[in-house]
Amino acid sequence: MFKKRLTMQISTNVRRIALFFLSMVLSSSIIFAQEKTITGKVTAQGEGPLPGVNVTVQGTTIGAITDLNGAYSIKVPGTAAILVFSSVGYTSKQVVVGTQTAIDMILQSDVTALSEVVVTGYTTQRRKDLTGSVGTVAPAELTAVPTTNVSNALQGRSSGVTVIGNGQPGSTASVRIRGFSSFQNNDPLYVVDGIPTQDISSMNPNDVESISVLKDAGAASIYGSRASNGVIIVTTKKGTKGTKVTYSAYTGFSDPGKGPKNLCNTQQFADLQWLVYKNDGTVINNPVYGLSTNPTPTLPSWAANTNWFQAMTRTAYTQNHDLTLSGGTDNAKFFGAIGVNKNDGIILYNYENKYSARFNSEFSFLNSHLKFGENFAFAYRQNNTVAQLNEGSPIEMGSFRSQPIIPVVIPAGETITGLAHNYIPGDWGGTGIANGLGQAGNEVAVLTRNKDNKYWNINLIGSAFVDVKILQGLNFRSTLGGTWFNSYQSTYNFATYEGSENALTPSYNENAGYNLEWTWTNSLTFDKTFGQHKILIVAGYESNELGLGRGMSATGSGYFTDDPNYRTISNAAKISGASSYFNNPVTLISQFARADYSFMDRYLLSATVRRDGSSKFGSTNRYGVFPSFSAGWRISDEPFFKGISFINDLKIRGSYGMMGNQLAVDAANQFYSYGGDPSTSFYDINGTFSSSQPGFRPIRIGNPAAKWETNVTTDLGFETSFLNNKLGLKFDWYQKKTKDLLYNPELPGTAGAATQPYINIAAMTNTGVDLEFSFKDKFGDLGFDGSVIGSAYKNNIDKIAEGITFFDSNGGSRIGSFNRNAVGHSMGAFFGYKVLGLFQSDAEVASSATQDGAAPGLFKFQDTNGDGAITPEDRVFMGNPNPKFTYGVNLSFTYKNFDLTAFLQGSQGNDVFNWNTWWVDFWPSFAGQKSSDLLNNSWTPTNTGAKVPKATSLSNFSTNTQSCSYYLENGSYARMKNLQLGYTLPESLLSKISVKSVRVYVQAVNLFTITKYTGLDPEIDTQQANGSPNDLIRGVDYGSYPTVRQYIIGINLAF
Amino acid sequence: MKKKYIIFILILAVMGTWGSCKSDFLTVAPTGSLDQSLLATTNGIDAMLIGAYSMIDGQSSQFSWEPASSNWVWGSIRGVESNKGSNSGDQQDIQPIQGFTEDATNPFINATWRELYEAISRCNATIVIVNKALAASKITQDQATSYLKQAQTLRGWYHFDAWRMWNKIPYMDEKADPAVATNSEDVSDKIIADLTTGIDLPLDMGAIGRFNGTVAKVLLAKALMQMKHDYAGALILLADVKANGKKPDGSAIGLAATYGEIFDIANRNGIESVYTVQYSVNDNSGANNAGNGEVLNFPYKSGGSPGGCCGFFQPAQEFVNSFRVDAAGLPMLDNSYDLPANQILRDEGIAGGSPWDATKAYDINQGATAYSPAAPFKDLGYVSLITANKGNNPLTSPAAWALKWTEDNSKVVDPRLDWSVGRRGIPYWDWGVHTGSDWIRDQSYGGPYSPKKQVYKKSQEGKYTEVGNWTSGWTANGYRMIRYADVLLMLAECQIETNDLANALINVNLVRARAANPLGYVMESDGTTPAATYAVGVYPAFATQAFARTALQMERKLELGQEGHRYFDLQRWGNVVTELNRVLAYEETMDWGTLLYNHSTVSAKDVNYPVPQRQIDLSNGKITQNTGH
Repeated sequence: MFKKRLTMQISTNVRRIALFFLSMVLSSSIIFAQEKTITGKVTAQGEGPLPGVNVTVQGTTIGAITDLNGAYSIKVPGTAAILVFSSVGYTSKQVVVGTQTAIDMILQSDVTALSEVVVTGYTTQRRKDLTGSVGTVAPAELTAVPTTNVSNALQGRSSGVTVIGNGQPGSTASVRIRGFSSFQNNDPLYVVDGIPTQDISSMNPNDVESISVLKDAGAASIYGSRASNGVIIVTTKKGTKGTKVTYSAYTGFSDPGKGPKNLCNTQQFADLQWLVYKNDGTVINNPVYGLSTNPTPTLPSWAANTNWFQAMTRTAYTQNHDLTLSGGTDNAKFFGAIGVNKNDGIILYNYENKYSARFNSEFSFLNSHLKFGENFAFAYRQNNTVAQLNEGSPIEMGSFRSQPIIPVVIPAGETITGLAHNYIPGDWGGTGIANGLGQAGNEVAVLTRNKDNKYWNINLIGSAFVDVKILQGLNFRSTLGGTWFNSYQSTYNFATYEGSENALTPSYNENAGYNLEWTWTNSLTFDKTFGQHKILIVAGYESNELGLGRGMSATGSGYFTDDPNYRTISNAAKISGASSYFNNPVTLISQFARADYSFMDRYLLSATVRRDGSSKFGSTNRYGVFPSFSAGWRISDEPFFKGISFINDLKIRGSYGMMGNQLAVDAANQFYSYGGDPSTSFYDINGTFSSSQPGFRPIRIGNPAAKWETNVTTDLGFETSFLNNKLGLKFDWYQKKTKDLLYNPELPGTAGAATQPYINIAAMTNTGVDLEFSFKDKFGDLGFDGSVIGSAYKNNIDKIAEGITFFDSNGGSRIGSFNRNAVGHSMGAFFGYKVLGLFQSDAEVASSATQDGAAPGLFKFQDTNGDGAITPEDRVFMGNPNPKFTYGVNLSFTYKNFDLTAFLQGSQGNDVFNWNTWWVDFWPSFAGQKSSDLLNNSWTPTNTGAKVPKATSLSNFSTNTQSCSYYLENGSYARMKNLQLGYTLPESLLSKISVKSVRVYVQAVNLFTITKYTGLDPEIDTQQANGSPNDLIRGVDYGSYPTVRQYIIGINLAF
Repeated sequence: MKKKYIIFILILAVMGTWGSCKSDFLTVAPTGSLDQSLLATTNGIDAMLIGAYSMIDGQSSQFSWEPASSNWVWGSIRGVESNKGSNSGDQQDIQPIQGFTEDATNPFINATWRELYEAISRCNATIVIVNKALAASKITQDQATSYLKQAQTLRGWYHFDAWRMWNKIPYMDEKADPAVATNSEDVSDKIIADLTTGIDLPLDMGAIGRFNGTVAKVLLAKALMQMKHDYAGALILLADVKANGKKPDGSAIGLAATYGEIFDIANRNGIESVYTVQYSVNDNSGANNAGNGEVLNFPYKSGGSPGGCCGFFQPAQEFVNSFRVDAAGLPMLDNSYDLPANQILRDEGIAGGSPWDATKAYDINQGATAYSPAAPFKDLGYVSLITANKGNNPLTSPAAWALKWTEDNSKVVDPRLDWSVGRRGIPYWDWGVHTGSDWIRDQSYGGPYSPKKQVYKKSQEGKYTEVGNWTSGWTANGYRMIRYADVLLMLAECQIETNDLANALINVNLVRARAANPLGYVMESDGTTPAATYAVGVYPAFATQAFARTALQMERKLELGQEGHRYFDLQRWGNVVTELNRVLAYEETMDWGTLLYNHSTVSAKDVNYPVPQRQIDLSNGKITQNTGH
């Protein structure tokens, strides 16, 4: 067989050479007689002139290439000649020359589902040939919604990818691919131009050429030990032939909206206090409102009626500029980009400014046998962020904790004798005005004082490669790259006077740190077609070193002046803290190989294996091997399918394989170590009052036996297109079983409090479906392109540890944990007492199960086990933060020069634990703001159908001390993320000013959200833990920075 | 073509080279920590031992205020000499502890368990390394002995603290395996054995924060009394301490001249202090060494008052009343101090500070004496806002009246009251006069009193308090873990139980006589006028053992009140149920009583805390629950 083919090959070559000489001879005689010159211009549909298009005469070697303006000139042998116009990414077109001398051509983009080239692990593949599950996101989708963070732009764009973000400028959204496979860190691996990284927040979305999401083992296991959370491959833009300059800009503003709807105003709050006194029978002289026996409360002269949400928010402006230059010749290509983004948040003084630059280039030598290239990006970000999802955050403190009676600033003509400060006009108002105003900070004062706080970081990511074509189809590639990160922060904490809990001394903190990672990859690729057999083999070797970083922090207390120019640590009266950290580096060494084979484009097989070694594991378990197999069958190409004409393409595919994860494990996990610091183990043994002697303790219990967690994934799917490729459908079913899941089970208290080691003990399963549906058609001048993507997963914990069936996770609540991770349930499920209603009478209390604190008007909990007493055993899994499914709907219309895009994104079937309700619906949940429902719709003997329990100072088991279903709300929502109307100026107008294309647009972002959720925003971001969203406490609204409506105008220019 | 092959071969060679050094490449040493081998030196072991001592305050950044060694929750609040205070929403987990409705999932209980066993594990880690170093001849036998005795005594103390909490506890020595630890056996002998190793430690340890022979003897005596009721055994130890005891730095112990001075931070290592937990401020510990366990327990008034946060740990009315004395200056041992005629005036429900508007006409004399209303205003004074207001009821025509606090010095009290409790009208250290409800976070919830013994003086702010944080309530006011008065009263208790009433009388009266020193009274701002009517007398005799017992028990309440002992004292005396039900019944009648206690009762199971459910779960059932919980 082999011998035969070789002979065929030789004979073909001989024939070709002969033909070549023949044509040379022939042409010299024939061309002279009939040749004529054709000129024309090639444009791309909707994009303007297209440079670099190959124009050839079919069956000859005659060819030309269009110039920068898309113009070409070609000599053709005669009227029967057929001109072929081809360019990568566009459908080729053929024209018979005939009598024409000028032929203009419009090429149509060719990104149909099948011919699309997809970047996968270490190679590119035609979508047609894929056997694994790979999603893609088009660059236009990434920049459709104004964001500086690629993670936010992924929301609703690819099936199987769940993205949750928040409204803070520059914030990174949580990106989860196909559920969760770890308790600790479920961040996907990003591979940017071949360089693996966990963070792409510095990347400018405008620089991205393509994004591929590798979802199953068939696609991702080539990334082995880092693949189990899915892999997102980002490729940045490259130069093309000719030069091209683009500039795009937008500006707009965000509207904070009205804020929480159901809070008390000053009079209502006072009335509520009176209702509580009445309900409780309290007789007291209220320090603000007078004697409780008075028929109505008396408002003091200084009483304001502050809407704190409005006071601390603003209309926020955004502007963005992107300039790109790209171009090239046959042997050299470059792409350069500069981006500037200034983005103000709706919270006072909250902003992020981002400046980014990129330079990519590629050079080829020796007739393309040798290629050098580099990709390099720089980003500088500067911001003043605010906390979110916690008690001290402005969203929570300002919205739900501050009483309306407190003035923001003491108005002219008012002086108040406060608890510890005498307020004069211009002073900040605060809880120190009188007893009983609570302990919330004046959020406007806090934000204003913090306006000079600074944080910046610099991110560099880059790589250089050499690519050697050893033989036809055999290439060697070596890539060396890495990321470098440096940050600096300065934070000044003012002394305060206005509050009930004041900081008496100002303090100032500075901290800085750096991090470095590098990767070196060497690979061989063999890509060859032998008749109907197509083979692609890639094999390589990779080494990584991560976490090379250090940092330090120092705090000084006591400053002569608050002047920002005076802020140094050395100017402090006392240095009150200094610390540093020293990252434990991690090294990885890997070998990998993949072989794809296809026969007749119909039968597709692929096998992958990767072996990884990691310094995180002890020498016995240092290496892990991750194989995968996948196969595809293009049924539509089978003879028996020919009759079914409405189906253009149908491929079924399946994969099975393993992927690993090691993110959870600390680099020091294998070591038993000792150490100590002042806060944990120093003691003033000499009785000095102000210094402590160093002491040590066991700080970590080591587990040298830990190994990779392994994710066994099965994926079955099909891809089809029908009705002349107008309709497309992709479907995947998958099951991800994580075994040897690394978990650090809590040890018995008797083991001490040293850090517990990660051990391979837990197990988890995710099953789900991914669905993508697309429709594309043209009705006269009206073009339509629509797609719906949907993702559904079900997460189930199969095992935690021997004897441990659950553990709770708490994101900072005052009443214990809401999220329980238990065997047989999904991660972070909501756990607590089920509220049956409110007790209506003493008789009902007496006839119900014994419940601590039970009384009319208070919660009646479900006696789940029916033992006649409400005990912790009666708690149930009462809700799930995981949605039943998430979706994105993208509709775009073109009509002549107009385009209209609508993008709807949503989440269905998830519950939200509205922790803010605890603060405002219960009087004893601190003396902060309260809800108007507590005044108007709370239980009284005459209002028995009330929504809210009785307004009382009682704080006990039956009121506000337990996690219960009262706080749960339906978190489903559908949001109009983007509505954009664009207009492309006619070419006739542009040619005069030598501009290739101009598009202007207006846009509304987050125009509306349909939801039943009563909080600020149903999209509840997740708290961060060690730089990654903590998936164990999802869906709890601890005060998430809301995503708000934004209006944008923008322009795209190309020269 | 050749060139390409050369490149290819070169590449393979590079890859091969890389591969050959891979095993070194994957070996990365941990950063920023120590290996056990580095610690087996005198310096290393001493640092391990200091790590074990450092848990004696119950604090580290791994634990919050739950396990504070001052036992303000476990000893004082649970003993109902104080309530949680603050407002009802803050630290709600203490609420069921003070109401005797806590369940085994209460996070305070688990945190305290974990803290105590972390402390024990540090002792054990020290012992392991000492033995290794000794085996390797890195230290001498003498050095090893001293380290081992300190570590074992500490281990005994931490176990004893756990024993008082739960009774059923696992005993962990350096060989014990946490995976199989049980709490089924009686561990009291092991605790006593550990504490016994320390009693021949030198008297002068060269550092005030170490355990010496005296400290070990007192701790052993405490354990013998609590766990074994071995009063005779304890008596020998305590008598020796009284005769020969020294502080760990070798200096003398004895009674401080005046009562109040004991609680001044400057005197934390004064003569009274047999062992004080050494807090340190501004030592770069993020205030974790600065009495973080008590950081919540300061009056609640911004800026101008001590601490500024968070209004917890408010003394109970019943505790305040206990300080009433009879004509002889002796306490009312029949508890009659709680009778309406005897109880101490409280300013509940009255506006704090100076709320009167001088421009408004009112007649203080006419009002204050004109009306003596019924409950709930029974203790309140009134001022009339109009003239000729007699007969108007403030409840029905409040506009005519303002509630007026009138200091009532008619009731004679033990002077120790005003060092133990901050109450309205009485000077509060050098912070000025306590002005009532504006020092209290929520009077309608926590009552009108403030804690005092651990509070710093205004003049000490910045010196003995942590600087530059949200509160100044982190102080160097180390918990007086063993006071000399405590030693005398323990000795007296042993003498009573062994029927040596004469010597018991002497020891009790030593304590009372010191309290009677008028130089130690709280004075008005003039420095000479006592702030209230004080009297304290010595007992003429202990007629019977039963009387002596009652007197001794009252004396501990008065002398050691708010110092974390009460609940454990009651536990030793077998009085938890009867005494606390009596006290709760009284407290429930207070204006704030229902909100606070919600009709609580104490039952037999409440003599110990429930074993944390989480620990039972984690042990896979090897650790079991206390009966009744």
